[in-house]
This record gives sequence, C-alpha cells and structure tokens, in this order.
Amino acid sequence: MTEQLHGIILDQINAGVLVINSDMEIDYWNRFLQIHSGRGNDDVVGKSLFDVFPELPKPSLRRKLQGVFLLGTPTFSSWEQRHHLFEMPHSRPITTASQHMAQNCSFLPLKDEMGTVTQVCIIIEDATDVCFYQGELNTTMSKLEKSSRTDGLTQISNRRYWEERLSIEFSRVVRHGGHLSLIMFDLDKFKSINDVYGHQAGDHVLVETAKQLTDALRTTDLAGRYGGEEFGIVLPDTSLDQAMVVAERIRTRIADKEFTFEEQVLPVTISLGVTQFDLSQKNHEKMIAQADSALYKAKEGGRNRSVKFEVE
Amino acid sequence: MSLPILICDDSALARKQVKKSLPEGWDVEVTFAKHGLEAVEILRQQHVALLFLDLTMPELDGIGVLETIKNEKLEVFVIVISADIQPEMKKRVMDLGALDFIHKPVNRVKLTEILNKFGLL
Amino acid sequence: MSSQTITEDQRDCLQEVINVAMGQASDKLARFLETFVHLEVPNIELVSTKEVTDMLAVKYEQDAVSLVSQGFSGAEGLRGEALLIYSKINADEIADLLGYTEDEATHTEQLTDISSLLTTTFLEGLAEQLETALSYSAPRVMMLQEHGIAKMLEEKTFNWEYALKVNISYLVTDHSFNCDMLLLFPGTAVEVLKQVLDEILEDF
Repeated sequence: MTEQLHGIILDQINAGVLVINSDMEIDYWNRFLQIHSGRGNDDVVGKSLFDVFPELPKPSLRRKLQGVFLLGTPTFSSWEQRHHLFEMPHSRPITTASQHMAQNCSFLPLKDEMGTVTQVCIIIEDATDVCFYQGELNTTMSKLEKSSRTDGLTQISNRRYWEERLSIEFSRVVRHGGHLSLIMFDLDKFKSINDVYGHQAGDHVLVETAKQLTDALRTTDLAGRYGGEEFGIVLPDTSLDQAMVVAERIRTRIADKEFTFEEQVLPVTISLGVTQFDLSQKNHEKMIAQADSALYKAKEGGRNRSVKFEVE
Repeated sequence: MSLPILICDDSALARKQVKKSLPEGWDVEVTFAKHGLEAVEILRQQHVALLFLDLTMPELDGIGVLETIKNEKLEVFVIVISADIQPEMKKRVMDLGALDFIHKPVNRVKLTEILNKFGLL
Repeated sequence: MSSQTITEDQRDCLQEVINVAMGQASDKLARFLETFVHLEVPNIELVSTKEVTDMLAVKYEQDAVSLVSQGFSGAEGLRGEALLIYSKINADEIADLLGYTEDEATHTEQLTDISSLLTTTFLEGLAEQLETALSYSAPRVMMLQEHGIAKMLEEKTFNWEYALKVNISYLVTDHSFNCDMLLLFPGTAVEVLKQVLDEILEDF
C-alpha cells in the first residue's frame, strides 16, 4: 500500500527524481523526467547516467557523486552557479528568454542498514521562474542603484553619493597612506546668467559644464554636483601640485569653450579651490571646508582662477 | 587485588565515557587525570598498570606523555583514545610505544575487543 | 529575550562531540581529497550577534573574503547555519583540491562544492553523536572576494540572537588552503541543543 502510494506521489510530483547506483547506472527515474527529457523508459533504466545525458559535465559531476558515495553526505548544484545540469525545455516557453529549464539539483545519499551508501538520489527542481524573476530584479536594482547616485540634471554623481565616495577615499588614505586631493569649484556670476538669459540657459550651462568635466577627467577621478552651481572632484592618488594641474586644465577648458544658448554666447568661467589630504584633517568634511575656503579666495582674487589652500 | 588504571582526557565527558565503556565486572581501580601533566605526576608517584590516553590536551598533550613514559622508562601499558584518527597520527603513537589506538567515540564492544587482544582481561 | 548561558558540563560535552566529529571529518576528507587535512581544536563560546560581528570585523578588517552559508535542520527544532569564511583563496587550488581536472566548473561552483563538503562531512559526524539526523539546504555564496563581512552579516542576519561560535580552521597541508567555519544557532535551537547535551550527560 505505502509502496504504491510512494509510486503515485513520485509520478505526480513536479520535480525530477532519479536514482543511480555506484556504477553510475540509472536505477529509477520518475514521470517528470520522462515527460521533460523526451526519452523512453527503455533507453534509460539500466543505462549509464552519462550516456543517457551526454550534456552533463562528466569530470566534475562524477567527482561530486564519488563524494556522496564515499562520504555519505549530500551535495548540491544551484542554478545560480550552473544554470542547469540536465538539458530540458521548461514550462514557460513563451515568457522566458532562456531555452532550458533552470535547475536546483540535490544529490542525496541512500544508505543500507550498515550505513553504506548504495545509491544516490538526484532531485531536480525547476527553478526557471526564480531565475527569471531574479534576472528582472537584478536589472531593476542596477537601474535603481544608478539613478539613486546620479544627479537628475547633469547626469554626474549627486551630492550624497559623491560625498560617500570622498569619505571612503578619505578612510583609505588614513589607513594606508598615500595622496588624496580635492577640487571644489563653482560657476562665476551664475546668478547673473540666470537673471539675464533665463533659467533654461542656466540649466544648459550646468549640463554643459558637467559634460566638459567628464571629458576632461581621468577614470579614477570622481566628479559630483555638490550644490546649485557648485561641483566637487575627488582625485585619488593625486598630490596637491598634480591636482593644481588638473584644476587649471579644467578652468582653461571651460573658459575656452564657447557656451551658446539660443544663438547667444554666454560668458562662462569657473573659480576653483584645491586642497589635499593631511593628517591634521579629522574627516572629509574638513577637506571640503578647506577647498571651499580656497575657492572663496579665488573669487576674491578676481574669479576664473585656481587657488590652493594654505594654512594661515 | 584490583588493577590500577588511569584515564587521562581533558574532557569530563570523555573520561566518563571511557569509564562507562570498561567491561562489566572487571576488577579495576580507576584514577582520573585532566591533562598530560597531571597524568605524568600520577605515573611517577604510584603504580599504574594501564593508561587510557587522549592526545589533544592542554598543558601536556598525549604525545608528550608518551615521550615522558619512554624517556623516564615508566612502567605502564598505554592505549590511546583519540578523535584524531588520521593514519599519520596512529603511526606516530605506535612508534612511541602505545599498545593500540582507538577512535573516539569509544564504546564497550571496541574496548573489550582490544583488552581481550592483549590478554588484559 | 532571556539571557542564555551554557553550563561548564554542557560546554565540555559539546567540545568533546565536536572534537570527535572533527576527527572523523578530517579522516574522511583526507581520504576523499587525498591530502592531509588538519582541523584545529575549536574554541566554543555562546556569543551574541554583536560579538560575532565585532570579532569578524577585527579579524577580517583588511581582507576581501568569500562567505558561503549552508543551513541545516534536524528533529525537534535543532537548526542553524554554517558559515564558511575564506580569505585569500586561489581558485586553481580549490579546483585542484576537488580533483576537477578540466576547467569546467566556475569559481563560485567550486566554492559551493568545497564548502558543502567541509560543512556536511563535519555536521554528519556531529549529528551521529547527537543521535539525530540533519537535512541540509544548498550552500549559498553570500560574498565573493568582498570587503565588509561584519556589515554584511549585520544587515543580512536577523533570525538569531545568540550564536554558538565554533571556530574551526581547516588546514590542508598539500595546498595553501584554509578557511574558518562558524556555526550559528538561533536562540530556540540553542535551547534544543542544550537539552540534547543534557541527555548525553545523563547517560554517563
């Protein structure tokens, strides 16, 4: 009675069940596998596992199975590491991009009364749905992650993300030593640009400045929009003198570039303040304050210039 | 006269396990040691016929005890009872003069078999 | 939340069954992997979540680590999670150790395979002595050569207040390979474990 019941359940269950012996021959397989693999019963029972399913990764799977027989412990294969072991079509052929059924497989030792492993039961679960939704989720997550760290207007890093990165770089030099420099700059007479040419012109200047900045920087440098018309640049592994060279390069680039909006030429220049990490700075905010104070000096000194921070 | 035996293991459970696995009705007088140093002290002071010895212990480990027994020519039979059951360890222990090597966990069947083998019962 | 402690007898008992399980595991693994496997005697402590994360933060502060988790469960609510922590691992070493001759298994697959071997071989021995049987979930790679293990655990683990910290170091002599294992039990499972230990202690 129970045996009959087991048989019915095994044939109804929505998972593949396969039993092999220590010669790697198939002793049993259930209906799920018969349906999905498209093979007849006669071609399978008593045959070698690797002959019936030639797509299996023979060397590593054989080794895994040896482990189950010898150690008496289960082993697993997850779709996250290997999409599938047994090549079978899946039950969502329309909505899923992948051709084969994603699988979670468990290899369970079957022991006799003496505790010796005589057979291994392989359970094959269809993980296509999970795999599909995980893929969707990953795509959404990476989009979300990108948008959560990007400034909507200029498409460079927003203040929160930029400052987080500065603080990470700051901790890194505190721990490991080395150089770290910081440039803060803002657009000269930006209020006037807004007043004279309109806010759309102002936005255009911000977008164009960010674009110039991205083109001018090395891949390791990180530019961010710090506030209204203020930008910051984190320069890892960069000394103060090198940072001054970068600052001047950006300043001349902006000054030389012709900004036009509705056929009008806009007078755009920037003023920059530069500082570098030293041990007297308690945190990254102190670096920002120093660069800001140098930036203020640049403004006072007549704008369109770079000034390095100096202790008074 | 009862046979004086010593059980040396840092685990109280393991000491009790060994004692409980001794053959029923065997006329023995059991002493315990919590680590190798304590065992060596006892061996130096009083006669012990048979020592059940664990290997991994604080203060002085089982290997250290076996070496001391060898160096000081202490008269005692030693049966090692250890969780470390790799062949290399067994060889080392046997080379140092142990009678035999039992894998943990110990039980009465295993222990009786070995004691019979050496005619200790 | 009641404050949990284990008695000296319970600790001694657990230490002993773990030692024996480790001995059996290293013997089995040595035979399967055809190399000498050394397992260091673990130090067992019942610790709070905070203590575990603090300890990991100190130990692995500088390192990128890989973390693999595998759940296990037995009768009467005995369940937990085994965490395997690898720092400075070499993918080729693991493939070589596992005997995967052809380069067909990905690094994460090798990592889950070796983790599963180390975890289940040890836990099977432990289960046998505790006179229970365990089932296992598939191992999951939670971190792959990443920094910040303490933060990760703080964020991802919420089901256990106490952990039985069993630090086991696996050293494989022919290979430059080692890892740490940490067994975590939720509070209710610690209670079950204590009962099981008391039953063993009563037998002797």
